[in-house]
Amino acid sequence: MPEPLRIPADAWRDHLAHDPDAFAGLFAAAGPDGAPEVRAVLVGDAVRIVATPAVDGVVPSVVDLLPAADWDEREATDLYGVRFAGHEPHRALVHHPDDRALWATPVEGRDVHRVPVGPIHAGIIESGHFLFHVVGERVLHVDARLFHKHRGLERAAEGRSPDAALRVLSRACAGCAVTNAVAFCAAVEDAEGRAPDEAVRRYRTLLIELERIWNHLNDVAQICAGVGLTPGTMAFAELKERAQRVCAALTGHRFMFDAVTLAGAPADPGEAARRDAAAEVTDIAAEAAATARQLLFDTSLRDRTTGPGVVDAPTARSLGVVGPAARAAGLAADSRTAATHLWYPEFAPALPPTPHGDVSARLEARWVELNQSAAIAMALLGEPIGPGAVHAADEGDGHGVGIAESPRGRTVCTVELAAGAVRRVHLRTGSYANWPAVALAATRAILPDFPLVNKSFELCYACVDR
Amino acid sequence: MYVLLTNLARMRRRIGLTRQPPASCAIRHVDAGSCNGCEHELIAAGGPRYDLARYGFAITASPRHADVLLVTGPITTRMLEPLRRAYASMPEPRLVAALGDCPLGGGVTAHPHEVAGPLDAVLPVDIRIPGCPPSPDRIAEALREGLAGLPRERRPW
Repeated sequence: MPEPLRIPADAWRDHLAHDPDAFAGLFAAAGPDGAPEVRAVLVGDAVRIVATPAVDGVVPSVVDLLPAADWDEREATDLYGVRFAGHEPHRALVHHPDDRALWATPVEGRDVHRVPVGPIHAGIIESGHFLFHVVGERVLHVDARLFHKHRGLERAAEGRSPDAALRVLSRACAGCAVTNAVAFCAAVEDAEGRAPDEAVRRYRTLLIELERIWNHLNDVAQICAGVGLTPGTMAFAELKERAQRVCAALTGHRFMFDAVTLAGAPADPGEAARRDAAAEVTDIAAEAAATARQLLFDTSLRDRTTGPGVVDAPTARSLGVVGPAARAAGLAADSRTAATHLWYPEFAPALPPTPHGDVSARLEARWVELNQSAAIAMALLGEPIGPGAVHAADEGDGHGVGIAESPRGRTVCTVELAAGAVRRVHLRTGSYANWPAVALAATRAILPDFPLVNKSFELCYACVDR
Repeated sequence: MYVLLTNLARMRRRIGLTRQPPASCAIRHVDAGSCNGCEHELIAAGGPRYDLARYGFAITASPRHADVLLVTGPITTRMLEPLRRAYASMPEPRLVAALGDCPLGGGVTAHPHEVAGPLDAVLPVDIRIPGCPPSPDRIAEALREGLAGLPRERRPW
């Protein structure tokens, strides 16, 4: 990929407002002369990076034009000291000041009170803090204060070789381990002008779809847990366990850690292993469908899931919502349609039957996508899936973007290589794109429905916090 | 729903888990910056396939009645204070277990400014459960071995 198109600060807002391609995140980086700049990723027929310098540390904010840039700008301020003119008041996102006025939205009025929850939660849940502003049970606003798990992984990866950086970033998140690794590898390969051969594309696609299968099974289990329907939780937990055993049989690891490498794809596991895996995936998909039919007749599940947590199509579009949450709102958006570095022949996004954008639609989206992913996995397991290599072209430095569809949506990894090392890496996962929508969806719910609304997105904290 | 419950009961009989004489141990889990892998495996350990409850282990919602504080992650600076508060809220005698390679000092390569770990540097660690992440059956086994290896007056029963 060529150098980013560098735009003067006074033309930055105009450029992003009128660019026909979709905004896919922005971040701060050191420009060619070492001075700070802000880079945005735009996704259309091609993927581009545009950049503007931070003049005296300030860049014009685009948050009024592109609400999806809200968290990106706040993160760039907290971690890189870049300020955004017009993004006022700046509320801390990654940093955790004691003074509530510095990070939370003031919500005033008769009978308004606040309910703080977390960062430690009641069950086995990732750490994160939520401040609910409520009247009675009705939620008026939610301030999500995440980044309790911030490990500085991007900065820890920088300065290392691409292989070493991959090892750092591959521990960002267990739920998206494969997707994040594929997005990073694709970004490095884009920067180096290299292309994976068909065997590598097939291997990586298989692993991404297996990851989606176990995640979606887990998400359905969690939604059942959100309404207290233990038989549903346990049935889908058992199916998730079986799916993870398929992952372990094929890659030697239940979360497929370190299975995706820059080198390519390992040797084919053999016809017998592929046949066993395909049979088990078929059986899991069939049993998930049969169990889903059982759940369909459970009135308590239907009562609780129909209605709450609506994110409609215009909101989803404006907030840049991705993945099953976008498709549950009726947007036929799926980065797999354009994933030429992977293997998705004749792919079409699968929408749930009633895409109303509520908890029920997001539950249905998982069921539809489970079948789709199982079909893709079975097709891939029908033929040898390795060995494969990534062909060298010019081994150069430069910029690259890698995109992969995680179980939670489009994950965008941007890499800058200099002298064979990673100069800057930015990982914007599907969870990162969707968290603001969770907070918004919860504002129309009652407080006791928040866990359910939250679980219907089932976003990671780990790869958002990094 | 009837079919669903019957299937679950059948699965439990088929895998033939051994049952243990009753004991009890309350565990409070705290995520101090994990990748969520240890959480997935801990949830699985409590699920139908591994059934942590058959050994008397229960995951509690509060540190106030917990016997064991089970910590995951490399101890991020932002989780240090909540972790210390959870430990301070526990009644004596109390135990601390490190779940996964991260709290043991291996695991993720974090930026040094963002972590206060390993767990040893923050709290006294009694039980170590290595793995990235440890498998659900290994979690149950390591908890039982770890508790059995403690002097009698430090055990929760």
